[in-house]
Amino acid sequence: MAVGKSVPMLDSVARVTGTVPYPSNLKLPDMLVGKIFRSRVPHAHVMKLDVSAAERLPGVVAIVTAADFAGDDKPNLHFGSPIQDQPIVAGDRIRYIGEPLALIAAESAAVADQAMDLIELEYEELSAVFDAEQAMLPGAPILHEASPDNIVRHSKLRRGDIDAGFAAADEIVEEVFSSPMAQQASLETHVATARWKEGKLTVWTGSQSPYTVRRVLGAIFDLDLENVRVIVPPLGGGFGGKGNVRIQPMAAALAWKVGNRPVKLMMTRAEEFVTVTKHAAKIMIKSGVKFDGTFTAREVSIYWNGGAYASSSAHLVPAGMLRAIGPYRIPAVHVDSYGIYTNLPIAAAYRGAMSSQGVFAHESHMDTIAHLLGIDPLELRTKNLLRTDDLFATGERLHDIHFVECLEAAAYGLGWHEPLQSDNGTIKKRGRGLAVMMKNTIANSYSECRIELDAEGRVTLFVSTVEMGQGGHTALAQIAAEALGVPIEVLAVTGPDTAETPPDAQTASSRSTHMMGNAVLDGAASLRQQLAEAAAPILEWSPDDLSVADGYVFVTTQPQARIPYTEVLGRNNIDALTATGKYSTNEGKLDPDTGQGISTPDWHQGAGACEVEVDTQTGKVTVLRYHSASFAGRVVNPTLAGLQNDGNVIFGMGASLLEEVAIDGGQITNPNLSDYMLPSFLDTPVELKNVSLEEEGSSFQGIGEMTLPPVAPAIANAIYDAVGARIRDLPLTAEKVLRGIQGRTDHER
Amino acid sequence: MSFELLQPDSLPGALKALAQHGDEAKVLAGGTAIVLMLQQKLIAPTVLVSVGRIPDLAYIRSEPDGIHVGPLTTLRDMERSLVIQTHFPLLAQASGEVGNIRVRNQATLGGNLAEADYASDPPTALLALGTQVTATSLRGERTIPLEDFLIGFYTTDLEPDELITDVFIPASAPGSRTTYLKYRSRSSEDRPCACVAAIAAFEAETCTDLRVAVGAASEVPQRLPAVENLARGQALTDELIGEIAAGYADNIDTLEDIRGSAWYRTQMIRIHVVRALEELRNGRR
Ligand SMILES: Cc1cc2nc3c(=O)[nH]c(=O)nc-3n(C[C@H](O)[C@H](O)[C@H](O)COP(=O)(O)OP(=O)(O)OC[C@H]3O[C@@H](n4cnc5c(N)ncnc54)[C@H](O)[C@@H]3O)c2cc1C
Repeated sequence: MAVGKSVPMLDSVARVTGTVPYPSNLKLPDMLVGKIFRSRVPHAHVMKLDVSAAERLPGVVAIVTAADFAGDDKPNLHFGSPIQDQPIVAGDRIRYIGEPLALIAAESAAVADQAMDLIELEYEELSAVFDAEQAMLPGAPILHEASPDNIVRHSKLRRGDIDAGFAAADEIVEEVFSSPMAQQASLETHVATARWKEGKLTVWTGSQSPYTVRRVLGAIFDLDLENVRVIVPPLGGGFGGKGNVRIQPMAAALAWKVGNRPVKLMMTRAEEFVTVTKHAAKIMIKSGVKFDGTFTAREVSIYWNGGAYASSSAHLVPAGMLRAIGPYRIPAVHVDSYGIYTNLPIAAAYRGAMSSQGVFAHESHMDTIAHLLGIDPLELRTKNLLRTDDLFATGERLHDIHFVECLEAAAYGLGWHEPLQSDNGTIKKRGRGLAVMMKNTIANSYSECRIELDAEGRVTLFVSTVEMGQGGHTALAQIAAEALGVPIEVLAVTGPDTAETPPDAQTASSRSTHMMGNAVLDGAASLRQQLAEAAAPILEWSPDDLSVADGYVFVTTQPQARIPYTEVLGRNNIDALTATGKYSTNEGKLDPDTGQGISTPDWHQGAGACEVEVDTQTGKVTVLRYHSASFAGRVVNPTLAGLQNDGNVIFGMGASLLEEVAIDGGQITNPNLSDYMLPSFLDTPVELKNVSLEEEGSSFQGIGEMTLPPVAPAIANAIYDAVGARIRDLPLTAEKVLRGIQGRTDHER
Repeated sequence: MSFELLQPDSLPGALKALAQHGDEAKVLAGGTAIVLMLQQKLIAPTVLVSVGRIPDLAYIRSEPDGIHVGPLTTLRDMERSLVIQTHFPLLAQASGEVGNIRVRNQATLGGNLAEADYASDPPTALLALGTQVTATSLRGERTIPLEDFLIGFYTTDLEPDELITDVFIPASAPGSRTTYLKYRSRSSEDRPCACVAAIAAFEAETCTDLRVAVGAASEVPQRLPAVENLARGQALTDELIGEIAAGYADNIDTLEDIRGSAWYRTQMIRIHVVRALEELRNGRR
């Protein structure tokens, strides 16, 4: 049985020896270097953009500006789904610092850099707005005339009688939380290489969504989709940032203008920060509770700073609405979730997408309430956590719910009720905190695979699941190996390549092992059926009487009457058997005015509990111990699952304690990994443990993000437990903690 | 980025190149700082003069009155040097706290001093130790006390045609106790938010000499002799330590950056001066 075993990643040798063919390493004959000329002001009318001198520079092959898109026979300048507001290069309007204005294809990076200096740009500056709430005020600068209030999307949820709920409460608690703009910070930056040949476009790129890239490029260049090929080699990290179309249209436009040579466009680290970011968010949360800890009402307002273009915010704002409520029984819930345009780079998904901000708010808020009521934070949660068959705030009935088990696994693992080790003198104080999360996955989504078994017994799995270091291909190979009854060694996984591998929505929202895993099961079942049919004449039994397992087709009632797969193919003169597997979810529709309906086929569930030490003189927080838990249904690969859980915690510690994109007048001032601080391995907790919860009869659930969103509130709650300072603004810097500690002391004096 | 790379294999060759190109030239040592500045287009020299091929600029030489450290000595070699560990543990400590091991293997002492980044470790330790920097040009050689060498924000007293050719650290009084405290407000591999280097000599409980340098909190690391002198001939009581720490906290004009506000740095100076002096009083060498 391949499932449930910690087999090494299929490409582990390549990873250790440094031979993974990352898209950034791609070299094609005759390839040109692409570079981007970007705006230096946040908001302006472009008066003149003159690239003629740059074009004349020897070594410059082509320069693309918005002028290249003028005319009916030209490609479309704008893209975006569902809101097509983003130009490939800015035309008459600049909307953020770093926005592309001109694209250069040159023989070398040095020539492209020189050409950059020869481009003449004249503009008239407009007033700009960077703060989401300010952008909503009357009189704020307007980014897109089609949205005079600067709102990309406003989604609403209305359940129960909110006024009656608050009226029935013994206590009403209202708090405001904020999370800063952050950056996904994949080690490999965004990269795309494009080539046109005979009217066909091929793009090699680091993307989590090959089929979305294909569709959007097809629309931009008005191509039949067979004429767009998107190939995605293994990525050096994605973390949600590569989940949508980003730089691929620019690479394709450059190659289109060049004509007969490929062009490679790769972001520098600084450019990465203007390519995609994580939404800054401000969240107001208000709850009504009874003295016994029963909830009567909750109201949440969320302001997501979406940056200059809609991009994926249009989809993410409603998802973020659901993820900010919390997995609790609350009879009346009102939520307003606003995605807002500002003069900043585009914001998009960031691992634990649109959850981390909301979970930080509702889980910190839970502790505030617990302390106010004098109830243990674990007890307040377990009392109110949603169970199977409960109704969520959307009105949908919940299934396969394990919030209590996740939270208790983390809490008991940490030793929640055991006495804290005594404080180290008076300077360092210890505390514990916990948190739980609930996240819907992508509804109405589709995955397809193809499985091929050849006459030598080798199995190839064709999938558009993106391998980005998470081990997605390995997990799928394990599922296929088990379903086909073959050893993992005969498995090879290939893709994504839209010319070769079938469609898949995307590798995001922890959906692949679940969605594609089920498609693989479907494909394997069909392949087994084909084997039975091909073996039937040889064994002289009806296919219905045959079983297929462990490399043999055999008569169910006489297992000794069997033939190996290879022989089934060989004796039938079949080179290879091929099967297609599909899996889709069709549920998921919410009423736009009330947010009532069904939001997701499954719920992502995770929790965390930690112990911290706070230096009361510096405010510096050390996370000493962290226990996480996620609901996995059935674990495919315990080692890889554990690494996802632990990796989330370390990743989450960055956003909790360190990471913040600093902005001054729309300019990012720390666009490098020296000033934008990621955690070091030296920062990891001394004790870092995780569990992946399984359930008899359950199928594979996604586990790529579940233990991440609880990290920030678990640490914030532990800080409160240690020193009584409630920090409501991420990251939880030493300085904020120190101010919190001193503020409290002043108050007590 | 377009510049000419010169790789002279002698000191006179390097000095000549610098004299010839003046302001247009930049010295390249380990490259850990200058390559970032080039990439971020903060500087645009037309000539880079690499000093890597000049022989005999990497050394740690012990003499009766102190040690000489060559400008091309890496911070990793300083951290691991037995001589430095034995006689200047403070400097070994400060060198060993820099960034991470990959940076320390590449970064040189000369580069660290010439870069004059306020968020650095070695300069603060070296200031407390009374270091002298020798700068050489075709015009001759001069020795500059470190406090005069570090002028301000990324600014030193070096002329464009000068190279650091030697760093001299005088021996401390025998039996001195020293410590170096680096405070990182962010990750464990970050540059300092504030740092304190302290050296004290004692006769029984009485402090006979105290030197305290505070760095990373202001444009240049600083010693405050008037405050240091409070300790002379005194026992380091909690009260006196508090007074000295307050002296540093109150008299250093702190700066604000992503690692902390000016207010926060003032707090960190006070706390870390206290911690450093307690450590010295309690007997750490
Ligand atoms: C990731 C990272 C983390 C870091 N963390 C820390 C830290 O925690 N603490 C800390 O103190 N520092 C830290 N640093 C800075 C590091 O110590 C310096 O970059 C390094 O010491 C510079 O030495 P170099 O040989 O690489 O200099 P280079 O980059 O080659 O040169 C730096 C400057 O010095 C000039 N220069 C070099 N040698 C000479 C010479 N002999 N005479 C005259 N001018 C010269 C150059 O022209 C240039 O202006 C960090 C750096 C990085 C990249």
